[in-house]
Amino acid sequence: MKWLVFALRNVLRNRRRSLTALLITAIGTAAVLVGGGFALFTYDSLREVSARDSGHVVVGARDFFTGDEDVPMQNGLGGAAALQAELAALPGVRAVLPRIEFSGLISNGDKSAVFVGRGVVAQTDFRVRGVQTGFVAGEPFDAGASLPEIAIGKDLARIMKANVGSGLTLLSTTTEGNLNAVDVVVRGIVSVGVPEIDRRLVIADIGAVQKLLLTDKVSTLSLYLSDMEQSDAVAGSLAATHPQIAVRTWLDLASFYQAVRALYNRIFGMLGGIILVIVLFAMVNTLGMAVAERTREIGTLRAIGTRPDEIVRNFVLEAAVIGGGGALAGMAIAGAVTIALLFAGIQMPPPPGRSTGYPLLVNFSAVLYAATGAAVIAASALAAWWVSAKAARRPITEALAHV
Amino acid sequence: MSSPALRLYDVKKSYRNGAEPVHALRGVSLEIAPGEMVALTGPSGSGKSTVLNVCGLLDAPDSGQREMGGEPLDARPEAELTRLRREKIGFVFQGFNLVPVMTASDNIEYPLLLLGTPAAERRRRVDDALERVGLAGLGGRLPDQLSGGQRQRVAIARALVKSPALVIADEPTGNLDSATAAQIVELLHQLTHERGAAAVVATHDDRMTRYCDRVVRLADGLLA
Repeated sequence: MKWLVFALRNVLRNRRRSLTALLITAIGTAAVLVGGGFALFTYDSLREVSARDSGHVVVGARDFFTGDEDVPMQNGLGGAAALQAELAALPGVRAVLPRIEFSGLISNGDKSAVFVGRGVVAQTDFRVRGVQTGFVAGEPFDAGASLPEIAIGKDLARIMKANVGSGLTLLSTTTEGNLNAVDVVVRGIVSVGVPEIDRRLVIADIGAVQKLLLTDKVSTLSLYLSDMEQSDAVAGSLAATHPQIAVRTWLDLASFYQAVRALYNRIFGMLGGIILVIVLFAMVNTLGMAVAERTREIGTLRAIGTRPDEIVRNFVLEAAVIGGGGALAGMAIAGAVTIALLFAGIQMPPPPGRSTGYPLLVNFSAVLYAATGAAVIAASALAAWWVSAKAARRPITEALAHV
Repeated sequence: MSSPALRLYDVKKSYRNGAEPVHALRGVSLEIAPGEMVALTGPSGSGKSTVLNVCGLLDAPDSGQREMGGEPLDARPEAELTRLRREKIGFVFQGFNLVPVMTASDNIEYPLLLLGTPAAERRRRVDDALERVGLAGLGGRLPDQLSGGQRQRVAIARALVKSPALVIADEPTGNLDSATAAQIVELLHQLTHERGAAAVVATHDDRMTRYCDRVVRLADGLLA
């Protein structure tokens, strides 16, 4: 405790210099925490989007995720209703949703366009996916309508000159390799925020899609769990008990999430590294001057029996006081920024390939705060060791003669 | 018969000043008995500071031997010499060399902290030392709140608080007015004798030499 008191007094010895180092440390810490918190917010958002889109655990036929299909639904999952009922009874499973992925042409009678479709259990699927599929016009369709109803992407609706209530025709290849068509009514116009998808998206009732494709199979069953963290455990258990099917977690299928995460980890990791180097040099500058000014004092302390490592320890403690103070101040700044952004309502511009922006928010993470604080203090301590180790081993007579 | 507190035998030490070697000590032999106070005098450049540095284990001789309490010193590693300085040697410097961010009490306590003395014992010994050097009640002051004489009293207390076997004092009155210097000389003499500490005092001050048991004169790196 005495040593810490001495360190604190030494830090206050040159207040302006110490304050400068502390401010640099504080701003660096805040930058890492705000940047890191933004990355965490992005990860959480994308995680949520990815998991809601695919389901926490997805099962398909053995070759569904790896094989190519010669005809639609060649790798579809048969006997889906029984499996769906079995999976729905598993503990922790909130919903099991069958889905069909299909494609074809959509026509308004005058012009046609390629579509990429999803066959879903309409009401449940829209509810589970939540706001992800935003309705620009209309509403979720009803499976029991006389003519099959669909929702289409807003850009596809524009291309097809379709509005809510418009009649269109879906044309697709059946499981037998023939062409089949079905007349549909547009019940909703949606946007997922990605123009490329909004130009192609058709969402239809799974029963209508099965009729169009002449199949009773589904592409996948998506399991939604009460606790997303159980995804790996549930997937592992299913893979063990159902070797005839292929099982994937949301993370396996979330290539965009993984790419963004890898990119941000590098960007923010490099930013954090640069900031730590700046903190290191600020501390080297501050403590280097302190060591130079106190050379004679170091000689005195060495003369009366202080070991070199004890001299270094004293400077490391001083660095820890400045670094720790800076880290705490930086945490306070980052905390204030985090709270301010909650109320500021700032929107980020749409990322490349998307049509909608997203709110600028910063997540709080105790682990990130602790790790950043520890890294800043460690960088400060390293700087202190660096500048004081040589001075502590300087010949005592030289140090005492230093002017 | 007890071993000398310190013994130097044919100690030589030279430095380089550019390309020229400077022979600071040309073969100095000296014995200091426990409790003996020896004044080291001589003109500037005679080698006084080098003798003090060698005696205080701050510098190693080029050749010759050193013993403390009968134990040879020169084959010992630096860590061992540091331990000996910590435990057995007290220093009083001409410029006081107090740590400015430490109060008088803290400065005096510092050697005891290094020795790992328990807190209660440290407090008792610091209070006693402050009392003995006439600074009772001033322990909370920083060095720059003390006069030159008071600072040197703190430095003497710091040197003696651990009851060392040897005190090295380099011109302890050099920065003091004559009245204060006389008090400091008397104090240093009294306290070293009370504690049975040997002392080597480099000085130009005749009042200082009068208090010493023996005066050794150095000239051109040799004892005169």
